[in-house]
Amino acid sequence: MSDAPKPPPKAPAPVAYKAPELRPETLPERAFVPELLRGLAVSTSHFLRNLLFSRDPSPDVLHRRGPNLVSTVQYPEEVAPYPPGYRGMHRLVPRPDGNPRCVACYMCATICPAQCIYIEAGEYPQDPIEKFPRRFEIDELRCIVCGLCVEACPKDAIRMDTGTHCKPTYDRPTIVYGIDRLLKGPAVSHRTDVWFKREGSDPPADGHGHPIPPLPGEGKS
Amino acid sequence: MPDQPAPPKPPPPQAPAPQPGAAPALVNLVIDGRPVQAKPGTNLIEAANLVGIDIPFYCYHRRLSIAANCRMCLVEVSNAPKLVPACQTPVSEGLKVTTNSPKVMDSHRSVEELLLYNHPVDCAICDQAGECKLQDYYMQYDHRPYRPAQAKLLRHKRKEIGPLVVLDQERCILCTRCVRFMREVAQAPQLGVFGRGNREYIDIFPGQPLDNKYAGNTIDICPVGALLSRDNRFKARAFFLSETPSICAGCARGCNTFLDHYDGVAYRYRPRENDAVNQAWMCDDGRLTYHRLVDDRQTRALAGRVGSGQPRPVDEVVAAAAEKLRPLAGQTGLAVLVSPQLSVEDLLAVALLAREGLSATTIYEGGFADGDQDDLLLRADKNPNRLGLRWVAAAFGLELRPFDAFLEAVDEGQVKALFAAGTEVPKEPSFVAGVLGTLELIVTQAQSFGPLVGVSDFCLPAAPHSECDGSFVNFQGRVQRFQRAYPPREEAQPHWRLAEGFLKSLGFAHRWPTARDLFRELSPRVPDLASFDWDELGPGGRPAPGLAARPAAADARPPGYRERVVTPPWQVKAARTDRPAAQDGGDGAPRAAEPPRDPPPGVGR
Amino acid sequence: MARLFRMLLLGVLIVLGLCAWAWLGYLAVNWLGGVTLGWGWGATLGQAVAAIVFIQLLFVMIVATLLTLAERKWSAAMQDRIGPNRARLPGLGRFSLGGIPHVLADALKMISKEDFLPSQSNRVLYHLAPVLNFAPIFCLFAIVPMGPPVPIRHGFAVLVATLQIANPDVGLLYVFAIASLAVYGVSLAGWASGNKLALLGGVRASSQMIAYEVALGLGLVGMMMTAGTLRLDQMVQTQSQGLFGLSWLPAWGIFVQPLGFLLFFAAAFAETKRTPFDLPEGESEIIGYFVEYSGMKFGMFMIAEFVEIVTLAAIVTAVFLGGWHLSPAIDGGLASFAAVLVRWRFGFAEPTGVLLTLAVMQTAIFAVKVLVLCWLQLAIRWTFPRFRYDQIQYLGWRILLPLGLANVFATGVCLLLDPSLSLLGAVGLAEIGVGIAALLWSGAKSTQPAPAPAHVGSH
Ligand code: SF4
Ligand code: SF4
Ligand code: SF4
Ligand code: SF4
Ligand code: FES
Repeated sequence: MSDAPKPPPKAPAPVAYKAPELRPETLPERAFVPELLRGLAVSTSHFLRNLLFSRDPSPDVLHRRGPNLVSTVQYPEEVAPYPPGYRGMHRLVPRPDGNPRCVACYMCATICPAQCIYIEAGEYPQDPIEKFPRRFEIDELRCIVCGLCVEACPKDAIRMDTGTHCKPTYDRPTIVYGIDRLLKGPAVSHRTDVWFKREGSDPPADGHGHPIPPLPGEGKS
Repeated sequence: MPDQPAPPKPPPPQAPAPQPGAAPALVNLVIDGRPVQAKPGTNLIEAANLVGIDIPFYCYHRRLSIAANCRMCLVEVSNAPKLVPACQTPVSEGLKVTTNSPKVMDSHRSVEELLLYNHPVDCAICDQAGECKLQDYYMQYDHRPYRPAQAKLLRHKRKEIGPLVVLDQERCILCTRCVRFMREVAQAPQLGVFGRGNREYIDIFPGQPLDNKYAGNTIDICPVGALLSRDNRFKARAFFLSETPSICAGCARGCNTFLDHYDGVAYRYRPRENDAVNQAWMCDDGRLTYHRLVDDRQTRALAGRVGSGQPRPVDEVVAAAAEKLRPLAGQTGLAVLVSPQLSVEDLLAVALLAREGLSATTIYEGGFADGDQDDLLLRADKNPNRLGLRWVAAAFGLELRPFDAFLEAVDEGQVKALFAAGTEVPKEPSFVAGVLGTLELIVTQAQSFGPLVGVSDFCLPAAPHSECDGSFVNFQGRVQRFQRAYPPREEAQPHWRLAEGFLKSLGFAHRWPTARDLFRELSPRVPDLASFDWDELGPGGRPAPGLAARPAAADARPPGYRERVVTPPWQVKAARTDRPAAQDGGDGAPRAAEPPRDPPPGVGR
Repeated sequence: MARLFRMLLLGVLIVLGLCAWAWLGYLAVNWLGGVTLGWGWGATLGQAVAAIVFIQLLFVMIVATLLTLAERKWSAAMQDRIGPNRARLPGLGRFSLGGIPHVLADALKMISKEDFLPSQSNRVLYHLAPVLNFAPIFCLFAIVPMGPPVPIRHGFAVLVATLQIANPDVGLLYVFAIASLAVYGVSLAGWASGNKLALLGGVRASSQMIAYEVALGLGLVGMMMTAGTLRLDQMVQTQSQGLFGLSWLPAWGIFVQPLGFLLFFAAAFAETKRTPFDLPEGESEIIGYFVEYSGMKFGMFMIAEFVEIVTLAAIVTAVFLGGWHLSPAIDGGLASFAAVLVRWRFGFAEPTGVLLTLAVMQTAIFAVKVLVLCWLQLAIRWTFPRFRYDQIQYLGWRILLPLGLANVFATGVCLLLDPSLSLLGAVGLAEIGVGIAALLWSGAKSTQPAPAPAHVGSH
């Protein structure tokens, strides 16, 4: 507001950042009251719209319609739909015979940034895959749902495709999920799975397993 | 590479010319542009190691004959048109060796591909994963997808060929290290190569299991996961384990070991190289003694006899036991039993307690009973510190009497009370416990549960040597330090700390914050220990210390390789092409004043 | 639409409820005045007691209590939320009654919380401070006339029943005197807590109150000059006339003294210590003078704040919004409607009945105005960001104070030139016009790309 003569323009000091150029304030902005009233008008219009009109109860907040602008989702009664691409909680993928695909390689436990996976390995007496998880526990409270375990798993044994999230509980132990609660969902097998090649740890007489049919477009190296 | 002894400083760059001052016996050669001086007869792998250049290898082992069958170590030399195996080629004067030319790299890559041709790559269930040279070299040199389209050969994946060893023939790369070890070191050729060509495989001879006492070493020297331990199979991933230099407490040899542990639990011993004691090996019995550090541990202070022992705070139990012992001090009815499983520091403190606190003149020798002995490593005495016990007892004026004398004294009713530091006894423990049951007072410091703990009036939890610092004296009179791997379990404390508590309760003012302080205060009393510096580990006149920092290639792995950051080849090249540009200034102006730089040892590779 | 109807129905119900409350209030005042008159203690005593019950307890306290909930519900509506609706009464199932059970829950919580006493505190003053804060604010309402006086015959005497607790000649001076006492509670609370942040809050509060006390007074001086009185009922009466002789344009204070209204409203808002003047609280940095208070002691600070809102709204209504009057034309219409009602009920226009009916309706109008002003204060609180501390002082001393002085001077000149308020009204309307023009201009400007944030103190 001062009318002091402007200092001659100086070369800008070399600074590491550039301050944004602010438009000089107009008189009504300086008078403040009109701006206050305009702000009031905004909140008043929201107030009246939300007060006088019914709320759209659709749980999908991205698709609110109508004059009422309230976007709250009343959680236990209304559940917001998961966005497309939401992966959800872990599951341990079963093999066709119902056992977990997991071979207790600890890759997931190694990479897990939250260190929330606990594994104890056991040994199958007769099985081409000798190793299995005797205990496999995920502390879902510590899990940050980053999905690195899924990326790390060499056996496609842990997936985040359940589309649900972890249920709240009243105490901590119940949120540590063991194999009993993690092993679920459809069984998965891959062309390269060992049980297609051999029955046990001993080799077939000719030293070759069952031939693996090549995928289309494969086979010429 | 902080843990590695600094590589010898390379001579100045004009080294290939014969040096006037250098010993005439040394051979000069150049490896990757670096001048190297080596003794005649050194092979190229070792020579390259002198200047910190790694040449990859599988079948080579310093302590075995050279087979040169894996072809991983092929390098380019100036005196041969073809690549030569570095493990088999001795140094020669003026030789120029290139270990990173495209031709050599291509050779590494081809060998890797060949080895992986029939390899199952089931690292997910392979206990070697994390310390597997196949993995390491694949990441370092090959790094390509698998090309063959047809199915791999299948072999025995889980053949339990001996009490300690399980063989996976699919993973074997046929380096024959194991075969050579059994033939040359163990002198029991129980393994052989069978079959021809593509179908070659390692196996035992029919009806003859791999039951030699040293068979466990094949697990260590097998560069891949073909030979694995049945003992800790699937117990822990190698990449989780931390290693601590330790000493095997299985016999009086005191083999130098690494104790591999994770989260306060020991998982295995691995031999640590020491030419004077155990070379690079250890026996299977000793390998399994790590179980004593883990299983059946007595970790609470108990008061009350025969099963009624209730856990109480350690201080309280020590004080109560000391109250009971105080009136017995100096009487013949009080016997002191000391186990040679204790470390020197433990023994010093216990001897002080016996001599001054309990005014004893005699102590009895406990410890495990004698067993087998052979020419390689095994000693009949199954205790790591009997010599230390003798030294300490003599120095403290304590008469050391055998365990049988103790049993006789008990039989004759001369013994009323017992203070036992260490509950290992050379007789059947339940028999001993039965005999001792008649005593009025039994105070024990025990590391594991056992019958003797059951009859104790006061039992204190003692920490084994994995849980404290200390030293053992082996049968040769070598004082060998071991390091604490992890803190004591629950309420366990080292024997010396418990003895300190007793001394304090009996009115003596000894305070030892650490085992080192204890050793420095008490070892001058022991003439045999007087010259031994606990910190330096290299007292004059004594054999080289037991604790070598990171000996190279104890099991033919590069020293400390697990911690090493491997410089990828492409960065190596960048570093090398940088250097000349930097030397002539990069801007065209000659930098005459600047002295030519030494290639820094051990970097840039 | 359903919600629209529900809200309209709710509005009608509220107005009817206010009418009922006013009717009972007049009856009670009249009855108790008669009783004490009969006892020979004078009618004023009984009337005052009845008015205290009906105004302070039944109106102010209930409105203030509901405002604690309304603050949350209304702010939610302004911010596109729902607001509290989870506290429910047993037996009502899913119905949350608009969140009203939250008031009960709050009360329960405050009563049952630990009454914490900081170890470093001054015990006596610490306990006294909430009372010192609450009492003056609660007393302020005593001089507010909520309804017109109605003369009712009691045998030989005629009692003037009115919904006003006291009607001293000093009128507005009482407001100034009592309102400035409240600062003691606040600064003592800050000091007695033995907490540096609380002390900081107390100091901020006192300096802020001092800065705005002057503007507060000056804002009202213009209106005192216009009405020529300090008494609030007479001020309301002044505002019942039409401006320029127009029956639809009332001579409300806000029209003849728009600047005074603005000054007083801003200064009084600062006295309530609510956003944008909430530096004494400063939730985000110092928590403020009541940081150490818990339970019902904190509750007294909180409820005092809401009582202050109601009081401020009532004083503004009486002084600037014509009290219970709308415009002369509407007032006349209401009087005829009252006469119609009475005639329909009793067969003839019983004059006291007509007056009483009109008074009841006008009291409801007054109350509705108060409620609207309460809403306005909440809307302001939830719209504006907080001032910086230097901005507060700048606004108080360098903007409001000179404006107030200028306003007093201009008012005096206008009244000297034209005592009939026409000139004053013209000037006031001109001021309003300028304000609206500025508003439109700023609205037009703001269609340009995002303006930089404007700060009042950044000159
Ligand atoms: S999602 Fe991430 S945090 Fe959770 S278990 Fe997997 S790796 Fe760990
Ligand atoms: S990474 Fe996969 S296979 Fe390995 S332990 Fe985890 S879930 Fe099992
Ligand atoms: S030997 Fe090495 S490469 Fe082969 S499966 Fe084991 S870890 Fe993997
Ligand atoms: S079993 Fe291991 S050591 Fe033996 S030949 Fe095979 S790879 Fe080499
Ligand atoms: S051929 Fe040299 S190491 Fe195997």
